[in-house]
Amino acid sequence: MSPKPKKDLAREHIQTALEDYERGSENDAVNALFYAAEAAVVALADYHGINTQQRHNLKADAATELFLRKLIDQDFGPLLRELNQARKDIWYEGDEPDFEDGLEDVIAQVEELVSAAEEQA
Amino acid sequence: MKADHLPPFRRDSVDPAWESHSAWKAKLVRDRETASMNQTPEQRAITRTLMERALESGADGLALTGSTARDRRTAISDLDYHVVGSRPRHHDLPDEVDIYAGDSNSFWQKLHSGEDFVQWTLRFGCILFDRGIFRAGLKAIATERLWPDPGLKLRRLPQLRDLSIRLLDMEDRDAAQDQVRATLTSASRALLLQEGIFPLARSELPAQLRAAGQPDLAAALDQVIVDQTLSLQKLRRRLATVDPVLHMADTLS
Repeated sequence: MSPKPKKDLAREHIQTALEDYERGSENDAVNALFYAAEAAVVALADYHGINTQQRHNLKADAATELFLRKLIDQDFGPLLRELNQARKDIWYEGDEPDFEDGLEDVIAQVEELVSAAEEQA
Repeated sequence: MKADHLPPFRRDSVDPAWESHSAWKAKLVRDRETASMNQTPEQRAITRTLMERALESGADGLALTGSTARDRRTAISDLDYHVVGSRPRHHDLPDEVDIYAGDSNSFWQKLHSGEDFVQWTLRFGCILFDRGIFRAGLKAIATERLWPDPGLKLRRLPQLRDLSIRLLDMEDRDAAQDQVRATLTSASRALLLQEGIFPLARSELPAQLRAAGQPDLAAALDQVIVDQTLSLQKLRRRLATVDPVLHMADTLS
């Protein structure tokens, strides 16, 4: 059990991601965005009684379930999976982040997810 | 494949299956059998779907990699694949599917630039289909005596360590455990490559590290793989075991 509430951690992670992005550290930003998205989903999933068991795929599944149950406006499952893959490609394979709609779009989506966690959880 | 079976992992040990058409054909049959044995029926269904999608998209090859290929899955294992071609759609599949995808140019570039993942696929992966690129890649490893560059991992290590510290300072225990595990894994792989030992699946690294005279790093990695509830304080201590490897990184820079 983390000592801080997940929704607070989600906000801290996204602030860190924004700072990373502004100073041109996109790789670090991707990492922080991934943890922001995961913390936000766990906050929401815990609140709504959905199990995530510390596994990345279950957190992505939980994001989809939250959408299907109309608890959030968007299915963030694909976003979590994309971020998870991106950070692995960066840190294990030495690849550069390559998001279809750009990193700014990813930041905006994670912002939305974190706000949903803050409002509900 | 038996869990206690170790494939050739020394610098000069390369599967000679590339040398003849019949040997390569036999390897493909063997690899598919191994892949099948190492997966649950659900995982086999996922693999079948990915194979169909990869073939449809005109991929040059697909291999099952990682702990499943080695029959060494743990509670946190992904189902790992390497596709030479575009990444097949997989978000609709019910497991932690991790697909490394790159085109044939990227395959050769990574093989020759010293990244270890392509070599891992060729040395230990289960090749599910091959239009010739995997066989050519294995031939290149053998004939050009290719060995991954540990320096690539060593140079990324300080940044990985810093990200771990950032998460520990933030007191996000779950994220910190994830990142500390990634950092220790990367340090272990770099160290083993430096020693001329090809790193196997993550759960096999502690035994390889012990054999290479690195008991502290081995024990720390073992703990972060097995125990998913380590405290922040314990994670910080485990992370400190990469310090000697970081000194090697300092020397490089």
